[in-house]
Amino acid sequence: MILHSETPWPALLILLPLAAAMLSFLFPRSAKFTGVVTAIIIALAVVGFGWHLQSEGVYRHAVGGWGAPLGIDLYGDGLTLLMLAVTALVGLAITLYSLDYFNTEQARWFWPLWLLLWAALNALFLSADIFNLYITLELMGMAAVALVALKGGRDALNGAMRYLLATLLGSLAYLFGVVLLYHGYGTVDIALLAERIDHQPVAWAALGLMGAGLLLKTALFPLHFWLPAAHASAPAPVSALLSALVVKASFYIFLRLWFALFAPLGGEVAWLLGLLGALAILWGSWQALRQTRLKLLVAYSTVAQLGYLFVAFPLAAVAGVVLWHGVIYLLISHALAKAAMFMAAGNLLRFGGHDRIVDLNRSVQQLPLSTAAFALAGVSIMGLPPSGGFIGKWLLLEAALQQGQWALAAVMIVGGLLAAAYIFKVLGYAFTPSTSREESIPIPATMAWAPLLLAFASILLGFLAPALFSLLDIGSPFERGAGS
Amino acid sequence: MNSAILYALVGVGIFSLGLYALILHPHLLRKILAINVMGSGLFLVLIALAKRTGEPLPDLVPQAMVITGIVVAFSATALALALMVRVAKENHRAELSDDESQQP
Amino acid sequence: MLFDALLGLLLLGLAWLLLSCRDLFKAIVLFVAFGLLMAIVWVRLDAPDVALAEVAIGAGLTGALLMSALAKLPVDNPPGRYSNEKTHWLLPLTLALMLLLVASGLGYALWSLPVIAPGLSGEVAANLEQSGVSNPVTAVLLNFRGYDTLLEIVVLLLALLGVWSLNSLDATPATAEKPANLVLDTLMRLLVPLLILVAAYLLWAGANSPGGAFQAGAVLAAAGVLLLLAGWRLPTALAGLPLRLALVAGPVAFITLAALTLLNARLLELPVEHAGMLILLLETFAMFSIGVTLAALFLGQRPQERGGSA
Repeated sequence: MILHSETPWPALLILLPLAAAMLSFLFPRSAKFTGVVTAIIIALAVVGFGWHLQSEGVYRHAVGGWGAPLGIDLYGDGLTLLMLAVTALVGLAITLYSLDYFNTEQARWFWPLWLLLWAALNALFLSADIFNLYITLELMGMAAVALVALKGGRDALNGAMRYLLATLLGSLAYLFGVVLLYHGYGTVDIALLAERIDHQPVAWAALGLMGAGLLLKTALFPLHFWLPAAHASAPAPVSALLSALVVKASFYIFLRLWFALFAPLGGEVAWLLGLLGALAILWGSWQALRQTRLKLLVAYSTVAQLGYLFVAFPLAAVAGVVLWHGVIYLLISHALAKAAMFMAAGNLLRFGGHDRIVDLNRSVQQLPLSTAAFALAGVSIMGLPPSGGFIGKWLLLEAALQQGQWALAAVMIVGGLLAAAYIFKVLGYAFTPSTSREESIPIPATMAWAPLLLAFASILLGFLAPALFSLLDIGSPFERGAGS
Repeated sequence: MNSAILYALVGVGIFSLGLYALILHPHLLRKILAINVMGSGLFLVLIALAKRTGEPLPDLVPQAMVITGIVVAFSATALALALMVRVAKENHRAELSDDESQQP
Repeated sequence: MLFDALLGLLLLGLAWLLLSCRDLFKAIVLFVAFGLLMAIVWVRLDAPDVALAEVAIGAGLTGALLMSALAKLPVDNPPGRYSNEKTHWLLPLTLALMLLLVASGLGYALWSLPVIAPGLSGEVAANLEQSGVSNPVTAVLLNFRGYDTLLEIVVLLLALLGVWSLNSLDATPATAEKPANLVLDTLMRLLVPLLILVAAYLLWAGANSPGGAFQAGAVLAAAGVLLLLAGWRLPTALAGLPLRLALVAGPVAFITLAALTLLNARLLELPVEHAGMLILLLETFAMFSIGVTLAALFLGQRPQERGGSA
């Protein structure tokens, strides 16, 4: 019965972290135990779900037995699976890292909030219903804001407030699009909408509103204004999950809607997205290079790396599915590498009591594992072989060159060079020997190893391309946008 | 023009007024009020257009969605207000500070 | 139609007034008035369930929260004053023009919608029999789209977690409590039992007529808010695990039901013959938790536990 193919893995992926959040709120003393057990079961459930997808194909489940359009459907394909898997992996690392990171009072709130955020992410990836997605977006956004504020102090509170206003505005814009689509086409189910959508003005208005709302949440330039402060001022594990997972979740919805609904509408929109993506790469990388604080540098790097995801849109009409494989590869390897970077930065900051880049000079002697994690993650962010980042960027660059889009190709190369510059800037200071012997706080083993393992995974990803591409093809999530 | 489209247009107007205030007013309490007003405008569009069934009874699914929306908006407001009070204590005024400088 | 046009204009006017009003206290009062006017519009639009939710939560409790937050803002920031930085007149003008453009576009999109669109009214009517309740809005909320409601109750709890975490990490102690007031005290003795009765009625009625767990929970919370205003505090013995249990009862009931339905591998599929009873059970737990959560949100600070671990 338990391993029967009917085992409802997706429902488990949603209910389990919810139940665990309740438990960790009720019994704060055993919250860490609850968190670790949950993280492990989620990882197993994702494997189970992957196994189910491999044998049975695309997953669709009518919640409540009603079925769309009256009820809500859950939906899962290869893209869903990879998002769930990367969330499970990063989530496990964040869970382990957080065991010793927070003080007692912070931990009392961190565990239920983090488990709720995890439930929201899993529910979001599995939802086929745009109104249901709105609720998951709000759940995710509010949990993320509360987690940023957990740090306390002026920077984190201001960052959290700005983030909350941005995310609420994004949700409202998105919801307006939902309202328009419902009244235009009589359903909120993505698959049904895809059948019914046409070139009516409501469809255009919905594209504009949902696009703007989701891109604000994804922090695409110039809507990134809230990101650096929030991501840099949050507690390290929270920074990691914001940069690795939360911004990707809204991008995931955008991608889904793009393929199902909007790709046939928006040829020019694709170029606008590509342009903004290119500007994001240049602006984010340049700002990252200018920063004097490590966590802000890493946060601006996120702004730049998110740009790469959008450069693909104008190339997609010709390049097809392989380009989207590159985008998802980039997304996953950035998630792993950036989580590793923020956690490593958190170790450096905790150890030295500051994150001024010029004063990182003792780090390589004292914190070899964290410095190594930062360097390895940096390899993937720069896009050097054999990392996962390399595969993703190579596929994008190849498409741009084949189509003669020299400007986009140049931007991607410049972005890579700037990334190398800002990462070597950090490493350069980290490798400076120092004689000063200041007081410092030791780093527990889990906090040292968690980022290193993620960084390794982001490199290892470079060797797994064929396997992951075949997983990604389950249900061919990129079919519709690729051909048209 | 029927009352459904009339109220829907009023809803768009209320949404836009709220957006204007959200962007322009620096005071955080005003921003939170503005977000709530925007939400109300949006709910009005959702429910007004559900009157177009051509029968006396409206489509009731949007009404359930709005009840959900009201509870979510209330939750967000509660969190925003608590955060605002903390920010106001740090900044000594109920506005966001502009400087992005990170304290160690 | 003329009445609707007037009501619409009044709504727009009130929205503008409350957003541009220099005095924040007045702005909040206007916001509550705006909510009440909105409730009248809901009734005009045949949405009595929404009207109840709007009065109780949208206007009532939100207004109470806004007022209590305003009282906690630092006094050196006179509520009437705008920011020091003078905004150039060009910025508001450009913004207004841009928004006008966006609003016209949206208006055009709405205008171009078909005049008759049944939406999902047919599906709701056809399946109402199977839902276990006869109020279609309750059927959508608790059965057809019950999964939304599960997540929504969690959002409410999440808000409380966020508020408590913010306030517990605040170093400054809570403000001194106001002494009980005789008028309020008498009012409370009369109103609280009445409100609890009303809540129970709304919950029961929700199956067939306007009402339901959220409206009932809000009324229950109003009773709690009155008690809190009168100076009542939760006994410290109950402020720990018992309070937390009360807060999670609704979500946990929902999650448990979802888990039980998973035994048949059908998430949240309620057996038709028991659906009505299960929905009432769910709503009872939900109302209780919603009431306690809303009242706790109003209080803001996590109640002192026995043993002083706050």
